[in-house]
Amino acid sequence: MNNSRRDFIRKGTRLSLLITLGAVGGITARNLTAEKYVWQIDPFKCTQCGRCATSCVMTPSAVKCIHAFDLCGYCDLCGGYLKPDPNKLSTAAENQLCPTAAIQRKYIEEPYFEYVINRDLCIGCAKCVKGCTSFGNGSLHLQIIHNICLNCNECSIARLCPSEAISRVKASNAYKVKGSFTKEG
Amino acid sequence: MKNKGIVFFLIILAIVIVTVVTYDYYSSKPDELPANPYALDADPFARIDTSLIMFNESRDLAINFSEPSGMCFQDGKIFVVGDQKMQIIEPSGKLIKEVPFDQKPTCVFVSQKNIFIGFRKSVSVLNSDGLKIADWNTFSDSTVITSIAEKSEMVFVADAGKRIVRKFTLQGKPMGEIAGKSGNDQIHGFIIPSPYFELAVNPDGELWIVNPGKHSLENYTLNGELRTWWKATSVRVEGFSGCCNPAYFAFLPDGCFVTSEKGTIRVKIYKPSGEFLGIVAAPSKFKENSHAPDLAVDNQGNIYVLDMDRKMVRLFVRKEKR
Repeated sequence: MNNSRRDFIRKGTRLSLLITLGAVGGITARNLTAEKYVWQIDPFKCTQCGRCATSCVMTPSAVKCIHAFDLCGYCDLCGGYLKPDPNKLSTAAENQLCPTAAIQRKYIEEPYFEYVINRDLCIGCAKCVKGCTSFGNGSLHLQIIHNICLNCNECSIARLCPSEAISRVKASNAYKVKGSFTKEG
Repeated sequence: MKNKGIVFFLIILAIVIVTVVTYDYYSSKPDELPANPYALDADPFARIDTSLIMFNESRDLAINFSEPSGMCFQDGKIFVVGDQKMQIIEPSGKLIKEVPFDQKPTCVFVSQKNIFIGFRKSVSVLNSDGLKIADWNTFSDSTVITSIAEKSEMVFVADAGKRIVRKFTLQGKPMGEIAGKSGNDQIHGFIIPSPYFELAVNPDGELWIVNPGKHSLENYTLNGELRTWWKATSVRVEGFSGCCNPAYFAFLPDGCFVTSEKGTIRVKIYKPSGEFLGIVAAPSKFKENSHAPDLAVDNQGNIYVLDMDRKMVRLFVRKEKR
């Protein structure tokens, strides 16, 4: 009788350990092989509210403006670079829309100019995105840059985004760049 | 006594929890957050002085298109293209005829005899019954046809992809091109940042071509020589804003320009000399950040506006005429 009880406990313990080991191994294997998810902005839902600049846990924000060069008109009068109704189409500070002068205007050939974002200076305020969307082709747009983003469990910007433009996407397809990414729905 | 203390403690705890949750709930609401310190307020440029509005919206015609792309008015009929078809509609809204195509048209022009349908890289010529007469396929791979006009048995086709205007005989024989180059320092070849490149012939038979990147309208001889031009660059109502405007234009019977813009969408009137005259349709008439509307004008000077987002033709009639 005693032997039988001991035997039962021994076998039960072994079985429990085996199940636990299997479960841990399974979970580990799943975590190693499962697709990871990261936060990203849908540029077609973004309303340029400015919260990406102020609500990210990173300072400056992990959200940056990026430029879809395929869509850009390389215009002299750029709505994303220049303030509305500038006194001159020039690089003078009083004519620039960006509060941190993060957009560099480069002369290509008359009358075309290239606009390049300096990510170190960009704070993700979307002011240029608003200008480009309102007056231009909409080639400037915001994206979460993943070598800066901490990939928080709950993104503090997504929580406040009024247009619900931020969602988790597969890490293997982590960016929604205009031109290659088209409007959903 | 001991129980009372516990109850008191629990009540205080409940009040604290409710306060914290309520504060967190309301402070997290987007509407309760501080104003955007980086806001670019484009609304002032969309607001206009209502005394400048010269036209009233008279009626709207719903059209059966999911993506309308162009419109023309000729002989009391409205010709609308889009999707893979053309519809010929009476101003009352009655559908006269529907002509199917195997690809999406980009623009339409109707002369006294023929209907010219522009596709991305080709032109189809139809007779007045909608039967195909000819296809013109002598375009390049990067061609994007956006507008067609005819004058003195010469057909002008705007090619936004190549930034040129191509000339053809009525039989489709290529007769050269207009590149828009000029020795004048203040003007330039056609700058087309987006596929809006419109041309039209005014009541005096003059060929006008928009140069959207320069916010200018340019008059060329039929041989392609620049004769005159005017421009109006400004975000204010008197000018054209953004990278590339006007997107479309047409002529009133008195030679005044009717223009439509993308970005801050508005339809306006300019004198033949280029001086701003007034407004046909204010930005508030259109959906925000929607497509620029194509334009057509009838013999009475009524303006037909093709609203591509609301899928309707909107008729605007001069105020004093009502």
